[in-house]
Amino acid sequence: MTEAARAVAEGLFVTDGENAVLLGARCEGCGAVYFPRPLSCRNPACHEKRLTAVELPGEGTLISYTVQRYRPPPLFRMDDWAPYAIGLVSLGDGIEVMGMLSGFELDHIAIGSPVRVICAPLYTDDAGAPVHTYQFAPAPGR
Amino acid sequence: MSGEVLVAGVGAHPWGKWPDKSQLALALNAIDAALDDAGLGWRDVGALVAASSRFEGGMGWGLHANEVAQAVAEQPMACINVGGACAAGAIAFHTAANLIASGECDVAIAFGAERMPKGFIPRPPGGADDITDTDFLRWVAMGATNPAYWAIEAMRRRAEHGTTDETLARAAQLMRRHAADNPLARFRDPLTVEQVLASPMVADPLHLLEICPVSDGAAAVVLCSERMARRTGARTARIAGSAIGSGAFGDPARRIPSIASTVNGGTIHTSEVISAARTALDRAGLSPADLDVLEMADNSAWHLLAWPELLGLCEAGQADWLIDHDGFGRDGIAALNPSGGFLSFGEATTAQALLQICELVWQLRGDAGRRQVEGARVAMSAVLGLGANGGSVVLTT
Repeated sequence: MTEAARAVAEGLFVTDGENAVLLGARCEGCGAVYFPRPLSCRNPACHEKRLTAVELPGEGTLISYTVQRYRPPPLFRMDDWAPYAIGLVSLGDGIEVMGMLSGFELDHIAIGSPVRVICAPLYTDDAGAPVHTYQFAPAPGR
Repeated sequence: MSGEVLVAGVGAHPWGKWPDKSQLALALNAIDAALDDAGLGWRDVGALVAASSRFEGGMGWGLHANEVAQAVAEQPMACINVGGACAAGAIAFHTAANLIASGECDVAIAFGAERMPKGFIPRPPGGADDITDTDFLRWVAMGATNPAYWAIEAMRRRAEHGTTDETLARAAQLMRRHAADNPLARFRDPLTVEQVLASPMVADPLHLLEICPVSDGAAAVVLCSERMARRTGARTARIAGSAIGSGAFGDPARRIPSIASTVNGGTIHTSEVISAARTALDRAGLSPADLDVLEMADNSAWHLLAWPELLGLCEAGQADWLIDHDGFGRDGIAALNPSGGFLSFGEATTAQALLQICELVWQLRGDAGRRQVEGARVAMSAVLGLGANGGSVVLTT
């Protein structure tokens, strides 16, 4: 997971080129898991608030989704834009993450599907380099 | 409330697109109407509380109370500006009510005015282009628009409760039916279920006509003490309860603009709003079953199903049946957004919660004309603001 693929934001994920690992945090005081890594634990009952960097699981379950039929405003960049799906994925331990879906047919997305976290190019920057984001793809062999 | 606080007057500028009217002009129009309605003048006003706008106005921090004072009534007043995005109007109202309850003044005005930019609401300025700003991440990592968040909730509801496309469309249709009798609403033409479902899909399963657009608008509420109400003899509504709230840890809501939630399974959805509503009802000594009118933030048709359940008007999953059987019409268990709601007004973010309160007052006074809910005695508002802001007001006759 050291490949120098340019990401949409530093500190969000690491990748080996194909798979992505989301960079989260776990509070040593109360066990709460966060993504992305926050400034502080947010549990008001937690007095310790001591965060440790963790890598989130590479597989999870799709718990909801939508298909965006209109192009988002310009801060979002995507080469060859076409309608695409955004999923909500449970990665266990109470952490639920939104991200683009990859490899699903837009009219045949099933809640409950197992997914894995991948890295995919999103757009080409002004210097001609590909910029990557994390996405959720159907988990193989299940 | 320690002392009795009353709403003495309300006023609003019609919602729409008003490119030739400044934000300040919209605000003054609403405030003038509210003061007239209360039978009061500027010399009576001790405090002005502005729901600070998000997109223009003021000296870089949005519409503010001093701006109004300097424009129309240069006199000593307590001028207060509050943020809270779409909940800012409720926070302004709550602040004004407490100024009167504490005895600081006898008359206070809460107001909001907003002119919205076109299209999807963009990222506000000030954040850093890194992982510390989730409103940066949601755009660059996945391009999640606001409707996408509501759509993900709606799709989840379909899986959990079997909500159909037709029921979502009927909820949008109900708002237009109510708006048909409201001259303040921007969209008043009736809709059929077929028309709603034929409108373009924005984010599955939500169609264009199931998502609130953005509008320009302004609303103002004049609050007063009992002593002042006796002096003027104005027709008042009583503030039975008012509360503002923030989000609770573990809330499963897809909260704009976050890209992930830490969910604990024991926290109610949309906790910032529901906690405020429960507190407002507790302070009023009332329960959800007592409500005749509910004005709630219907950013999408999904909200019209989910929020009445979360607010305790019906059981989880029951709102579909109620929508399908006109249970939220003017003769229903409670009238749901008799104003026509955000879907018919279009959202003028920081002014929206004050418009809700205007409608509650018109309903309680019997001034709502053809959209009057017969015998309305208890009315509640509920509003959500970006950044985990919630607000709720309970008014009674």
